[in-house]
Amino acid sequence: MTDPFDILGVEPRFDLDLRALEQRHRDLSRALHPDRYAGAPAAERRLALGRAIETNDALRVLRDPIRRADALLQRAGIARGEEGEQKASPALLMEMMESREELSEAAKRGDPARIARLGGAMRAREQATLAAIQAAFAAAGNDPEQLKGVLAMLSELRYIRRFLDEVSAIEEELADQT
Amino acid sequence: MAYSDKVIEHYENPLNVGTLDKNDEQVGTGLVGAPACGDVMRLQIKVGEGGVIEDAKFKTFGCGSAIASSSLATEWLKGKTIDEAETIKNSMIAEELHLPPVKIHCSVLAEDAIKSAIADFRAKQQAKRELTGAAPSGAAKSAASASAE
Repeated sequence: MTDPFDILGVEPRFDLDLRALEQRHRDLSRALHPDRYAGAPAAERRLALGRAIETNDALRVLRDPIRRADALLQRAGIARGEEGEQKASPALLMEMMESREELSEAAKRGDPARIARLGGAMRAREQATLAAIQAAFAAAGNDPEQLKGVLAMLSELRYIRRFLDEVSAIEEELADQT
Repeated sequence: MAYSDKVIEHYENPLNVGTLDKNDEQVGTGLVGAPACGDVMRLQIKVGEGGVIEDAKFKTFGCGSAIASSSLATEWLKGKTIDEAETIKNSMIAEELHLPPVKIHCSVLAEDAIKSAIADFRAKQQAKRELTGAAPSGAAKSAASASAE
């Protein structure tokens, strides 16, 4: 069983209640804790440990919106592999290229205000894309054709994430210098 | 995972980083991205007489292997005709740079960028021919202008 929703026993949906999810994870972890299996046969102990690890992995997947969306698509039989990989639209690539160039210029000049502005704008975009993904999942239901539409948004979200990772890296570097 | 010496060499001293005027009709621009990791790569060629690539520039925001792949690609492109350039395969780049399997997609990205730059250049030339060949004797004229390039 590798589906993270099944492992944690939560309803498969994008707009998960994260607090309920964490609670569910805590309950399961407690039930699977090695102390409880101290007197159990070795095979049972190993099984419990394996399930505890699985539970932790599943939580990590479901906490991350991109991986959560991937897991939902996988359940629907839509693989993200090379074939299903969406080519980004030229407009998106152009925009990302320009934003990255602007960011690298700001980093070169050591302009923290400009970097913060670029980061802020991209974080707003991340929120908007997440909202669009949520709406798309809600509208698509189990229709595979509609679910495929989410792939393009997920790819967009990856470009946005990559940009934000870069912002964090630059900000850390600047902080180290001062 | 360790980078090969060749990747490090290109990463630390990337060749041909920069921009060519994308509105120049002799310039073809390829803009590609890796959806899995969010890397973006721009590769440009300037094509002169006889379809020979006179100059090539790139700008890549991505990992060391992606930068090295595009740096190597621009080096290889210079002096080649666009037909020769089209035969460059990602496997050749991956082999030259000793890319490990997890980084093969970086060389795929570079091959895509070359193809897309060539396609952009050809589309520009096609548009130019259609403009100049709009007259009744268009077919002969456009053939003449194409061979004159």
